[in-house]
Amino acid sequence: MEAILSEKDRAVLIPYYDFDPAKLAGFSPAVPLTIRSIAVFPAPDCQTLIYVGTGGGKLLLFSLNPSLSTSPLTSLDDDSNAHPAVPVVFLRSVTISNRVIEFITVLSEIGRVLLLSDGFLFLVDSLLLRSVRKLGFIKDVTAISTRLVQLGFPNSDPFRDGAVRAELSSPGQTFLKKIGGGIRVNGAGSRLSDLQRGGGSSCFLAVAAGKKLVLIEILLTSNADLDAEHGGISILWTEIQGIGGVKTMAWVGDSIILGTAEGYHLFSVTTGKGSLIFSLPDSSPPLVRYLVRSSNLLLLFDNVGVVSNALGHPVGGSLIFQYVPETITDMHPYVIVARDGRLDLYRKKTGVCVQSFSLPKSSVGPCIVVNDDLGNGNVVVIGTPYKAFCCRKVSVEKQIKELLRKKHFREAIYLVEEFQSEGEMTREMLSFVRAQFGFLLLFELHFEEAVDQFLLSESMDPSEIFLFIMRDPNRWSHLVPRKRYWGLHPPPVPLEQVVDDGLVSIQRAVFLRKAGIVTTTDDEFILNPPSRADLLQSAIENIIRYMLVSREKDLLSPVKEGVDTLLMYLYRALNQVSDMEKLASSQNSCVVEELETLLDDSGHLRTLAFLYASKGMYSKALSIWRVLAKNYSTGFWKDPTASSGDYASDSSADLLSGQRVAAAEASKLLQEISDQTLVLEHLEWIADIDQESAILFLISEKRINQLSPGDVIASIDSKKIEIHQRYLQWLIEDQDSDDMQFHTLYALSLARSTIELVERHSMQDNRLTGKYNKMGVSDVTDQDSLKYNIRERLQLFLQASDLYDPELVLKVVEGSELWLEKAILYRKMGLEEMVLQILALKLEDCEAAEQYCAEIGRSDVYMQLLAMYLDPQDGKEPMFKPAVRLLHNHGESLDPLQLLEKLSPEMPLQLSSDILLRILRARVHHRHQGKIVHDLSSALSVDTQLARLEERSRNVQINDESVCDSCHAHLGTKLFAMYPDDSIVCYKCYRRLGESTSARGHNFKENPIFKPGWLVTR
Amino acid sequence: MAAAHENKVKNAKLVLLGDVATGKSSIVLRFVKGQFVEFQESTIGAAFFSQTLALNDETVKFEIWDTAGQERYHSLAPMYYRGAAAAIIVYDITNLATFTRAKKWVQELQSQGNANTVMALAGNKADLVEARKVTAEEAQAYAVENGLFFIETSAKTAINVNEIFCEIAKRFLQAQAQQQQNPNGTIQMDRPATRSTAVSSCCS
Repeated sequence: MEAILSEKDRAVLIPYYDFDPAKLAGFSPAVPLTIRSIAVFPAPDCQTLIYVGTGGGKLLLFSLNPSLSTSPLTSLDDDSNAHPAVPVVFLRSVTISNRVIEFITVLSEIGRVLLLSDGFLFLVDSLLLRSVRKLGFIKDVTAISTRLVQLGFPNSDPFRDGAVRAELSSPGQTFLKKIGGGIRVNGAGSRLSDLQRGGGSSCFLAVAAGKKLVLIEILLTSNADLDAEHGGISILWTEIQGIGGVKTMAWVGDSIILGTAEGYHLFSVTTGKGSLIFSLPDSSPPLVRYLVRSSNLLLLFDNVGVVSNALGHPVGGSLIFQYVPETITDMHPYVIVARDGRLDLYRKKTGVCVQSFSLPKSSVGPCIVVNDDLGNGNVVVIGTPYKAFCCRKVSVEKQIKELLRKKHFREAIYLVEEFQSEGEMTREMLSFVRAQFGFLLLFELHFEEAVDQFLLSESMDPSEIFLFIMRDPNRWSHLVPRKRYWGLHPPPVPLEQVVDDGLVSIQRAVFLRKAGIVTTTDDEFILNPPSRADLLQSAIENIIRYMLVSREKDLLSPVKEGVDTLLMYLYRALNQVSDMEKLASSQNSCVVEELETLLDDSGHLRTLAFLYASKGMYSKALSIWRVLAKNYSTGFWKDPTASSGDYASDSSADLLSGQRVAAAEASKLLQEISDQTLVLEHLEWIADIDQESAILFLISEKRINQLSPGDVIASIDSKKIEIHQRYLQWLIEDQDSDDMQFHTLYALSLARSTIELVERHSMQDNRLTGKYNKMGVSDVTDQDSLKYNIRERLQLFLQASDLYDPELVLKVVEGSELWLEKAILYRKMGLEEMVLQILALKLEDCEAAEQYCAEIGRSDVYMQLLAMYLDPQDGKEPMFKPAVRLLHNHGESLDPLQLLEKLSPEMPLQLSSDILLRILRARVHHRHQGKIVHDLSSALSVDTQLARLEERSRNVQINDESVCDSCHAHLGTKLFAMYPDDSIVCYKCYRRLGESTSARGHNFKENPIFKPGWLVTR
Repeated sequence: MAAAHENKVKNAKLVLLGDVATGKSSIVLRFVKGQFVEFQESTIGAAFFSQTLALNDETVKFEIWDTAGQERYHSLAPMYYRGAAAAIIVYDITNLATFTRAKKWVQELQSQGNANTVMALAGNKADLVEARKVTAEEAQAYAVENGLFFIETSAKTAINVNEIFCEIAKRFLQAQAQQQQNPNGTIQMDRPATRSTAVSSCCS
């Protein structure tokens, strides 16, 4: 509400010039003229024509040059002729009649002026150069309205049915004939052809005269020249009887709204029917005005303006005036109402009174307010009996500017929103004004509102803000667009200074207020002076908000750079480390040179490292991570995100994790870098901190050019076995490297690790035997799993790869207890005996040994194995059990006698009986097995024979109609043959086709037939 | 959800009629802005408001004309009720004269207005029970007799304000649907008598 009330401050209409028409026209003061009617017409040549009708029947023409308007209200009362640049000039006058000129309207379409005097209509050319014509066919005129064409609606031709025509072709000649009257149904009158009518321009008028309504079309015939002395004007008219008492009317589209003392009526031009819109109570004078832009009408009811559309339906709420106006004028988006020298402007949409003013007291009397007929001129003329006042509509910008000058920001914003909603401001202007607001609010320390306004401005360029963040001159100074703002705010300075200056002015205002002087400074600030820190915080936070929105926009690349760089500046100012790092590590346009020193000095090294990395300056980024990792250990660097309270207690853990983080970040970078020198340069320190990180970047497949494996292996510290192995493993398993050297290296490395682990384990075992109970069980299992993990890997690799040098590996494992590995190696080397020895004798893994024999697949190997079992040498006893087992499993290729021979003669029968029994049982078992197989085979053979017999002894019935399936000859008593697929052929065809292919094309050799009965079911 | 309904928004011209100081403006203010002003200024001419109401899958946009109750402005009323889809005739339950006036409005609407207009009778100031002069039964009987929808409201306590608009919206939509099905036929407003009891399910 506050904003609405204070709108009274606004000056929408400013009176700037007044004149006495009689004096200006040089009439004698002895015969005073009274102004009774006025019309304003903005002529195409920038001059505005003012027509003044007097009480004595004179029409005076003045020309107003709006560009000469002097701002203060000047008067022509004294020395009017001495003033060189008077805006109003008298052109000429003409006498119409000796009665009051009640109404003037300019018919711009045909360049004529229409006057109403003494109940008659008169036409005169717009510059009053030619003689006046009286339209004598009509008298007792009480009201006139031109037709307002309604855009977007059908505006039908009111003369469709016929009209009376008159031609005004020579001076002195009144209207000729009047053929018929009223509406003629069949155009019997001298109706002009459409061709004739279409040729020139025309205008429509509605005239209320006596008890009838007359619709008139005045047209310039096509062959008539406007300036010709006797220019041809045709007039068509049609009369509607029975409509009387009209005091006011307006014609919009197809509707004519008539105002009488009883009320308002709607007359439809298309149907010819009338209806009551609403009736008026006593003492409420009728007054209709059309509102041009909306094609609506304002109907006066007491002091209420009822807005209706052309169909008589209400539109919006009523406008409530403070008095019953004498005159109402449309000046979009306002209506001006006036009475007795007082004027009020109401906003049509909201009904709010925005301005009131009174004319000087001497001028009080009946008052006429005129704008041009279309309601959008910027000049309004107010007529009082003896004086005319020219008023100018203040532009939207000026109105806003005035409010801003008074620092009425909220009112100004309200006004802008109002203008925006009514489409009175262009988008550009709106954006400009929003930006202007923003700057003013910024300097008033209302940072949040300022940024809100900046964000609403489409034309605001982020570079306009740069100077608030970084002092001028800077890298982006030249980008700032030279916008001509209204000069209401000082040039941009850094935010700190804005805040300081603002605080000084608040202090000054506080002081002045104590001294009783009112200032424009915000009351809120005066009552609760803000702290500098709070203001600065708010300023930076809001500018960050603006920058973040700006980032998303499509900007020129230098502006983008500025936005991101300065955003970093602002984050840094608030020490928002996580935001800084987020910005630095994401896609950004920061200018590194601008930030390097700054971030380095303030210790935001992580941010700097991220920034370097995002800009592809990997070497620098890595150096920082290296420094950070080092400084962690010296306790120099603190993680700002870590809570400071716990720092002391967890320092060692933090230190470790901090170093790890640095190594991990460096590793992340190195994963994509193809520069081998750089990668290898940083291998060492990362490996020192975290081998896993080192491995990750060594085996990364993200880089474009892979590193040279030889160089990498050479660079890996020999003590970093894990890295070494994992790298080789990756080369071999993931990269499918066929390089024998790598395979050998990997095998050797795994072998060494395994030996080391096994040895360590055995030592531990020895040590632990005594004190096993003291150690956690989990530790032991961990150790074990590690050992087996590596060992398993070694075994798997040794078995899977054929590319390593087994001899070299063997050398390493030779002295160890890695028997299985040795077996694998020997096997690779083709030393079967060695393999069998290890498997059978050393490891005593009969199954593996037998499996190995099976893989080799020769019977002599079994013999060899058996021999080994029976004579293990080195003073070992023969291994009878595995030998018997071998015999049992692979007896068919072994001689049991060999085993028997090996049995020691001294062996007690008790011991040997088991072996003997097993041997004998195995033999018997083999024999039985063989018999069974033999019997089964003979059964199959018998079955087959039977099936063959059955097949051959099939019966077939041949009758007279039987034909050969091949030649289709009747078989009759001929010899024939049948195939297994039951096709029958004559003997001749059988000879021809042969046995293997039937007459149906079945080839039994390629595609044998099986019948269910043939299958052996037992 | 709202987007899906946009294409189904139906405009309904609604007019409030009734004697002076019965609370027409207060009912509208309560419905449109959810406010109540103890000393509401007398309406001059007519005030305009708009408010949308979602009912199931349809949306009704009310264009509300709040007319002046003063006798002097009586002649303006036809302009507002002409072509109205709905009318709320308001009386003050503490003032018998306003009920009499309301009956006159009903008569005028029946004789002058649109036959399809959904009419509702609102007994306002229902919070002032002690000062009651018009019984609900009396008003209800009159409403049934004249095919009106009747409800007692209180703009002050918000009782039944949303409900009356909801019921009007429902009846309006039903009338529209019937009109679409039977474009030539007349619409019988009082046919589904059961509906008058099931109020306020849509507003809460």
